[in-house]
Amino acid sequence: MAEDCNALSDEAFRRLFRDWVQANCPPHLRNMRKQRPLFGEVADWYRALAQKGWLAPTWPKEHGGMGLTPAKHIIYVEEWGRLGCPRIPDHGIGLVGPLLIQYGTPEQKAHYLPRILSGEDVWCQGYSEPNAGSDLASLRTAAVREGDVFIVNGQKIWTTLAHGANWMFVLVRTDRTAKVRQNGISVLLLDLKSPGVRIRPIANLRGETDFCEVFLDDVRVPAENLVGELDRGWTVAKSVLGHERIFLGAPTRPEYALGRLERLAEARGAFADRAFVSRYARLRLDVYDLASAFERFANVLRRGGELGADVSMLKILATELYQRITEEMLTIAGEEARFADDLEAGNEQIDAMNLFLDSRAPAIFGGANEIQKNILAKAVLGLPG
Amino acid sequence: MPRAIIDDADGTLALLRQSATQFAARHDGPSGLRSKRAQESDIDRQTWTAMAEAGWTGLLLPESLGGAGLGLGEQAVLSEALGYALVAEPLALVCVPAAILLANAPPSPERTRLAAGLASGDRVVVPAWQDPTITIGRDAAGLVLNGDLRFVDGARSATDFLLVVAGVEGAMLLSVPADQPGLSVLSRPGVDGAAISSLSFSACRVATDRVLDRRDSREMLLRGPLLQARLALAAELAGIACGALDRTVDYSKTRVQFGKPIASFQAIQHRLVEMWMDAELACAALVRAVERLSAGDGQEAHLAVLAAKARAGDAAVSIGRRAVHLHGAMGYTDECAIGLYLKRALNLSAAFGQPESLRLEFVARERAA
Ligand SMILES: Cc1cc2nc3c(=O)[nH]c(=O)nc-3n(C[C@H](O)[C@H](O)[C@H](O)COP(=O)(O)OP(=O)(O)OC[C@H]3O[C@@H](n4cnc5c(N)ncnc54)[C@H](O)[C@@H]3O)c2cc1C
Repeated sequence: MAEDCNALSDEAFRRLFRDWVQANCPPHLRNMRKQRPLFGEVADWYRALAQKGWLAPTWPKEHGGMGLTPAKHIIYVEEWGRLGCPRIPDHGIGLVGPLLIQYGTPEQKAHYLPRILSGEDVWCQGYSEPNAGSDLASLRTAAVREGDVFIVNGQKIWTTLAHGANWMFVLVRTDRTAKVRQNGISVLLLDLKSPGVRIRPIANLRGETDFCEVFLDDVRVPAENLVGELDRGWTVAKSVLGHERIFLGAPTRPEYALGRLERLAEARGAFADRAFVSRYARLRLDVYDLASAFERFANVLRRGGELGADVSMLKILATELYQRITEEMLTIAGEEARFADDLEAGNEQIDAMNLFLDSRAPAIFGGANEIQKNILAKAVLGLPG
Repeated sequence: MPRAIIDDADGTLALLRQSATQFAARHDGPSGLRSKRAQESDIDRQTWTAMAEAGWTGLLLPESLGGAGLGLGEQAVLSEALGYALVAEPLALVCVPAAILLANAPPSPERTRLAAGLASGDRVVVPAWQDPTITIGRDAAGLVLNGDLRFVDGARSATDFLLVVAGVEGAMLLSVPADQPGLSVLSRPGVDGAAISSLSFSACRVATDRVLDRRDSREMLLRGPLLQARLALAAELAGIACGALDRTVDYSKTRVQFGKPIASFQAIQHRLVEMWMDAELACAALVRAVERLSAGDGQEAHLAVLAAKARAGDAAVSIGRRAVHLHGAMGYTDECAIGLYLKRALNLSAAFGQPESLRLEFVARERAA
């Protein structure tokens, strides 16, 4: 607990973190097939991290975090991925924490932050609506002030892990008359146990229920649950993801998938096939160069700089590469690409179809790739709108 | 929008397409696939019976064997229309190769019985021929089979199997009742929900009067059935490609973001146009294969069928992928049918030769000539 991780060299921190994770991340949770396990499924890992004080890498130490610099945080995330640790329900750690630390009142911080660290509160993110996806600013879920509560009516959708959460931070419209749609949106903290909340899980392409619809019907939210200024929620929400945008384009998923492809190919003797080797070589170097591009942006952070709009390129490259690698897995699976379940490769199981289907999602969430390209066109190339 | 345009002088193909479309309105494709998945089944008997009544399970069987005696043009139009609506009963995977195997066999009471059952729908006659690790022995009562066959569609619903196997006596077509002692069926879920099975034989005894056909090699038995089945699969895949495209065009015209339909964004228009071109290409390749194979099963027909199956498989899968993406998060749900189009395309594209291996076979054949 006492060690100052930022004072260590990168290599020393990497070793320290890796050794500890090796010893403390329960083996049965490694390389989980599930992308989004519920809290109860990974509680042991969550609590182990919390006890060590390593649950919240970016939170300042005064709030129980590690206070890592972006450079050290990158190592933390890289090693997490390489060691096959399961994803924890991380909306509280990754989004609500930074939101409150930046914009919350002292009371909000004192109340909510410890409950995230203890696992008592599990959060989900209520941004998207049926008619507000890429065009998030068109959201319509309304919050009307009545005395010391907001009355909230509307619907959220694609809310990851809402069925496993007890709190949701939600974007609501508080001013319907605002000329600019982005003005008139606020952030509220909403207790999912409140009367008028109904949650319906939605099965995804992989047959798992990771996300939900959340219906809000006259839900009463105390006025003190407003985060930041009224009607300024758009800016609040947008500024939360600072340097973390780099992780949307991390090479982790492509690297993992390439490793699986390699295993499958070895087991099937595909490396004796020159056509495969040629296709594999392209993918291998795409992964290699993606890591270089990631380093280019990581170096900006290491030098204390801030990411620009150009970081969006990583997200496009990484998500499309992930897709192409899984497509190659199905190619070498041959006739076995007909199956839904896993493929045998020596004494291992390779979840080729699972990864293929999973790889459809990252190109859509976190700002669909077309939206990222629009951002790049405008903000980087300065093309006319 | 795109469709295979096959010469249709007397309008019978148009009529067939129409009745397939009407059929699909009564037997919803997506819900059919979902119930297969829920029940771990491979054929829906009710839909199957209705197809038999329409004359589709025996469409390619000669009339003398109780079939409809129709040709490849009809089969292509039917499979394409069913693919378009995602009606996923395995006509192309099961009925087409079964019909050709039986039609090519010499006359026998067993052949007559199976052909009649296939056409009437009373029996589900399922070919099994892939990845054989079968040994054939003999004892006083007849043949003794040991080993496995893989990638068998419709096996859970089969009443009879048509095995294409080879031993020291050469290759043969064997009829084996599904409940024969020593035969077990092992199923796995296909990506689209329909079960795909392996047959496992353990000292399974088959009487010699169940040998329907004999040739020097399995290739000689399989040549015709495989060509025609691949052609029918190409048609079904082209239909899936067109169906996924049309659904996506419709969706993007109605899905409003940023104050207008997403179909008004050029990035999306270009993508839809590319998908449309891929679907058109698949249909063109299909039509060429129908024409060539209808004219005889020489080199030209082989090449055209390989090209059509490869092209239609790639088109269906890649259109399916892009279609899912253009549906946004909705496309990533199980509830939205577009994901089922992608999954069905994945299944059929990998069945009976996936695009990569078909292309290699095309080039090998062409260069050997
Ligand atoms: C697995 C998963 C988890 C998610 N989890 C959450 C969550 O926890 N909380 C939450 O709030 N949301 C969540 N989302 C929702 C996600 O943020 C949205 O899916 C995303 O913003 C896209 O919106 P949409 O799905 O409505 O697609 P749409 O906006 O309808 O887009 C459909 C298609 O049109 C394209 N498109 C849209 N506009 C343009 C344009 N101007 N130019 C070119 N192309 C365009 C898109 O790229 C896409 O391909 C999740 C989504 C997924 C898939």
